[in-house]
Amino acid sequence: MRRFNTTEDALKWLADVFQESPENIRPETPRERVEGWDSLGMLDLMARLDEECNIILSEEHLSELKKIDDILNILRMHGCLNSTSLKSA
Amino acid sequence: MRFIFIDEILDLQPGKSILAAKTIGSGEELFRDHFPGFEVVPGVLLTEMMAQAAGKCLDAERKPRGKAMLARINSASFRAWVTPDQRALICAKIVSNQPTYATARCHVEVEALKVCTADLLFAFLPMARLAPGYVDEVLEAYLKRPK
Repeated sequence: MRRFNTTEDALKWLADVFQESPENIRPETPRERVEGWDSLGMLDLMARLDEECNIILSEEHLSELKKIDDILNILRMHGCLNSTSLKSA
Repeated sequence: MRFIFIDEILDLQPGKSILAAKTIGSGEELFRDHFPGFEVVPGVLLTEMMAQAAGKCLDAERKPRGKAMLARINSASFRAWVTPDQRALICAKIVSNQPTYATARCHVEVEALKVCTADLLFAFLPMARLAPGYVDEVLEAYLKRPK
């Protein structure tokens, strides 16, 4: 199972999932500012969380995902990310 | 040429795995262009073979979520040429199988050599979007074969 040591690592992974440049993916970035976070991006996110982190997103979770930090919180909730802050913060 | 890139299903575990076969004959017009003097089966067609095989494996479950449709091609690699009239064996293993998506790890073998691999992501299309009476003739032929 994939575990992220730092929030930065998780952000890099999310940039890869959404095929975005890493500098565009920050915890506060809203969904509408992430071009790759469309319906296909959501499927990709679900599939990669499932395959790499053993996380199955529920319908309830899906409707709650409004910004990148919401995904980070899911990773934290499932023990895949321990860090709660950015290195630079 | 019809857009059917599976000739026959050789083994099928619905929702889990499939082994299928396809031969693209040297008489196909596409080889006039791909490439003159160096005829090889295009990588996009090998990818389509893997997508159709994995899709049939998912569709064979007959779940109400609908027909499996290729949504993304991840990490496709082409390792060896496939020439006209070579029989390709297509193997797909379903890695994740959820109500809204599925993923498959696939490869194609020719003469026991792995010639390409790909990880594929599928979404599902409601059957009502397809023509009334649509059936997958290759899948039906396998399911109705004498046992």
